[in-house]
Amino acid sequence: MNDAPLIQIRNLSKSYGPKLVLKHLSLDIYPGQVIGYIGPNGAGKSTTVKILTGLIPEFNGEVLVNGISMQQNPQEIKKLIGYVPENAELYDVLTPMEYLDFIGKLYNMDEAQLQSRARKMLAGFGLEAVADNRMDTFSKGMRQKVLLISGIIHNPQIIILDEPLSGLDANAVILVKELITRLSQEGKTIFYCSHMMDVVEKVSDRILLINKGEIIADGTFESLKQNHADTLEQVFAKLTGRDESTQETDAILNAFD
Amino acid sequence: MNKLFLRLIGSFNPLLQRSGVDTYQLHEILKLKLLIDNRRPVNLFAHTKRATKKAPTGKTASSWGTYLVVGLMGLFMSFTLFAFKLPLVPQTIYFSIFMIMLAITMITDFTTVLLDVRDQYIILPRPVNDRTLTVSRILHIGIYVSKLALAQGAAGIVLVGFADSWAAVPLFLVQMIEATFLSILLVNIVYLILLKTVSPRKFKDIISYFQIGFSILIFAVYYLLPRLINMAQIENFDLLQHPWAYALPPIWIAALNEVLIHPGRSNIITSLLAIAGVLAPVAGLWFVAKVLAPGFNRKLAVVATSDASAAPTTTVVQEKPRFNLVNRIANLIAPDPVENAGFRITWKLAARIREFKIKVYPAFAYVPIYFVYFAFNSKGSNLSDKYEGLQHSGKYILLIYLSTFVISSILQNISYTEKFKASWVYYALPITHPGKILSGMYKAVSTLYYLPYCIVLGIVSIVIWGPAVINDVILATFMGLIYGLLTALFLMKGLPFSKPVLVKQSGGRFVTSMLIAGFIGIVGLGHYLLSRWELLIWILIIPAMGIYWLMLHYYKKQNWEGIEMEEL
Repeated sequence: MNDAPLIQIRNLSKSYGPKLVLKHLSLDIYPGQVIGYIGPNGAGKSTTVKILTGLIPEFNGEVLVNGISMQQNPQEIKKLIGYVPENAELYDVLTPMEYLDFIGKLYNMDEAQLQSRARKMLAGFGLEAVADNRMDTFSKGMRQKVLLISGIIHNPQIIILDEPLSGLDANAVILVKELITRLSQEGKTIFYCSHMMDVVEKVSDRILLINKGEIIADGTFESLKQNHADTLEQVFAKLTGRDESTQETDAILNAFD
Repeated sequence: MNKLFLRLIGSFNPLLQRSGVDTYQLHEILKLKLLIDNRRPVNLFAHTKRATKKAPTGKTASSWGTYLVVGLMGLFMSFTLFAFKLPLVPQTIYFSIFMIMLAITMITDFTTVLLDVRDQYIILPRPVNDRTLTVSRILHIGIYVSKLALAQGAAGIVLVGFADSWAAVPLFLVQMIEATFLSILLVNIVYLILLKTVSPRKFKDIISYFQIGFSILIFAVYYLLPRLINMAQIENFDLLQHPWAYALPPIWIAALNEVLIHPGRSNIITSLLAIAGVLAPVAGLWFVAKVLAPGFNRKLAVVATSDASAAPTTTVVQEKPRFNLVNRIANLIAPDPVENAGFRITWKLAARIREFKIKVYPAFAYVPIYFVYFAFNSKGSNLSDKYEGLQHSGKYILLIYLSTFVISSILQNISYTEKFKASWVYYALPITHPGKILSGMYKAVSTLYYLPYCIVLGIVSIVIWGPAVINDVILATFMGLIYGLLTALFLMKGLPFSKPVLVKQSGGRFVTSMLIAGFIGIVGLGHYLLSRWELLIWILIIPAMGIYWLMLHYYKKQNWEGIEMEEL
């Protein structure tokens, strides 16, 4: 593994009003790593992602990607990153080809290359038949596939995926998991955010657990397991302070009485 | 058309590049935004329904439809150019309408575009710098407004040649540009004030109230203006005699024509006004660019994202159970649990769904407008004469019967929503008698919207005509309830808020709706003829109540066969 970190986060803090969502986060991410980024709702996960993708320009601390500072030159960093957002937003009055053409051109891609790449990728995801249909009739899974393609179409160094499997069927899930592995073999760095512990467990070679704005666990799945439990789910539950006992379920069942 | 605009902007590329704009990206963003506009259903003219589902690519009729409608309005507007003989007046009126129409179209139809949340997720993560994005936004608005202004002014450009002189035609183009810039300024100021004073969530609500207000305004102008204003007085109205008029921007625009085309009759005041007209857009643009725009874009972004990212800064709207009164009413008149659920869901959704409010609330204002229209249609030279004539007529009956318009407007819209898919609960839950939900819905609609409205009208009637009309008001109210139930039975086949807006109203129902409307008309006429026998009216209330109760009883029994289900 390369010893110069690709993403360096130093002392990153972010607050909304009086509420501190990220508390002095520091992180080094190396090329080719698949980072599984997990944490309970409201832990600061999506804030981190939004800072990394340049959606939130105001923060304290330092974020360096490939040696470039996020505060000083976010546009250069954005060129290196492919982002698949969680809330499947796209312009659904467009066709997949029109949409991908637009996205590719924002990265200043050459039209001919862009067109052929988009067609091939759509075919790879099984969408060649609907490549020129408007997306307003698409299912959630189909939209998600188009979003995935729009995140990798410019062949980025870093791919940030936020719940990329939502709405996908079992075969597509296998496809995406394989794709993640293959992309990381090609040297891409992947930042994978999800609530699905079993997938994170399988695809990532480094897991970061964030809780209340702080990273409380950082390591391979194997190393996390040794300290705490057998599955990532249990590690998660333990570290984020969920009670071992059956109190919660008891309370729910007792409500029937 | 769009290509023309894009090429026009392309000619400024070197200039834009120097200011830090990536012109290639700019071109792509604009091209895409214009494409999306073409495929977007139109807000303002909600009745020109969307036809987007069909053709996969290419233009839909909707965008051309808009320009056609706007163009026609422009044509009507331009008749004002002929209507008055005095200098300044025709053009002042024309440009007043021009600016108001343009500003309102911008606010109602373009706000959604301006506040497109998706930009935040689609364009912002790509390497597009702020300046490019801002410029693309400004140009997008610019193109949109220019197209509207062109469509709206097209008729005027030609007709001013006839109304005034051919030399006025090129000048008219300049005047249109003035008016357009001033309208943009106006909208900007409205936006800024709203953004400064209200929360983002409220902002969207207020925009929808603008839409409601706009519908009412158009309706009222159409029906009432010709009745209430005496044309003879207007024709001799000299604007320049009234110094307050100097403050109105349209008069500045009109003054330009006066000074350049008719220098003979212009004076120092019109010259000053004309200069103000030329300077104001320039000064206004500078003001927008330097003072308003910087904070403006950031604030707009906040509004746009406020729905999507529930940032901890935005206070969560808590719906406390504060409508205790409503809940109590619900329990009182809809005691059955399923019916109660239907009552409460109808009430809550109707009060909170924006699109429903936009369609239905104008109806509340239409009734008084209609009434005034009919009432003052009578003979009489001035308003007080007409009022006196009204007092001696039996027109209060008309007033109450007209209010059935409110109930039918509610019922015809209450099944429809964009989020109809949430209605799966009705089908997934073991509901044996959907009629109970419907009757709950009907009770909610009638007690919360119709009855208060009738009470208000009743009070107004008592004030105008005296307490003797109480029996008529009560009878008419019950007749209205019966009419509403008929509408619900024959015209409304879906559960509340369970159908997509797309499939609304097939033509076959038109006959039914005419029959029902005819029925209430006949009932109203009968009531009017019988109204001189006060006791009879009192007695008639009893069978009316009985019929209503009986109908409601059977309405409640409705089973799934009678209900149109939507594929979810």
